[in-house]
Amino acid sequence: MLLHVVNRSPATSRVYQQALSGMSSEDRLLLIEDGVQGALPQLVPYYAGLEGRLFALKEDLASRGLLGLCDASVQVVDVDGFVELTEEAERTVSWY
Amino acid sequence: MRYAILLMGAPYSNQASHSALRFAHAVVERGHRLEAVFFYHDGVQNAAGLAAPPQDEPHLGEAWVSLANEHRVALQVCIAAALRRGLLDEREAVRHGKDGVSVQAPFELTGLGQLIDLGTRCDRLVTFGP
Repeated sequence: MLLHVVNRSPATSRVYQQALSGMSSEDRLLLIEDGVQGALPQLVPYYAGLEGRLFALKEDLASRGLLGLCDASVQVVDVDGFVELTEEAERTVSWY
Repeated sequence: MRYAILLMGAPYSNQASHSALRFAHAVVERGHRLEAVFFYHDGVQNAAGLAAPPQDEPHLGEAWVSLANEHRVALQVCIAAALRRGLLDEREAVRHGKDGVSVQAPFELTGLGQLIDLGTRCDRLVTFGP
């Protein structure tokens, strides 16, 4: 299982498509930086099919005033949880 | 676990450096060994020793130095990316006939071989792009 990390919003970049095409059915996806916008209910449909495997970074949500506005299907983790996700994954792949 | 970080974003241009620094501290706080941060592409600007940001703003260069000193983290800077951006240590300044020195320890100019070495030697390599 790999951890994929995306730092761009699906509203402004198509890199999410590359990330999705590079993911296996067990891989996880973590949204960081502007990527956390993808956790909003309006944008989360871009990540349909990732239920239970989609995460967003708490600190980056908070700095953008988006904490508490995420879709229920997204798991919010802090930076400690970010490290934990990298521990659990065999490798980490960053998309930017 | 043994960790390494690859940072490719310039400071004050995007969030990559801040994200990497925050992640670095979290790695150490969870009890892991952070072997090195490798600065590549525009990320080498983090090693600019002459950077003088306003005093009420975070000083990323100093933050990396503190991390290195407190947790024995190597700060490895790609030499080819650094030289073309005017980042030279004393040895390279002499070699290229330049008056100024803009990179100082604990930052060290190294080659890409060091990055390959980190990738094979560490359990995890996490990249922060621009």
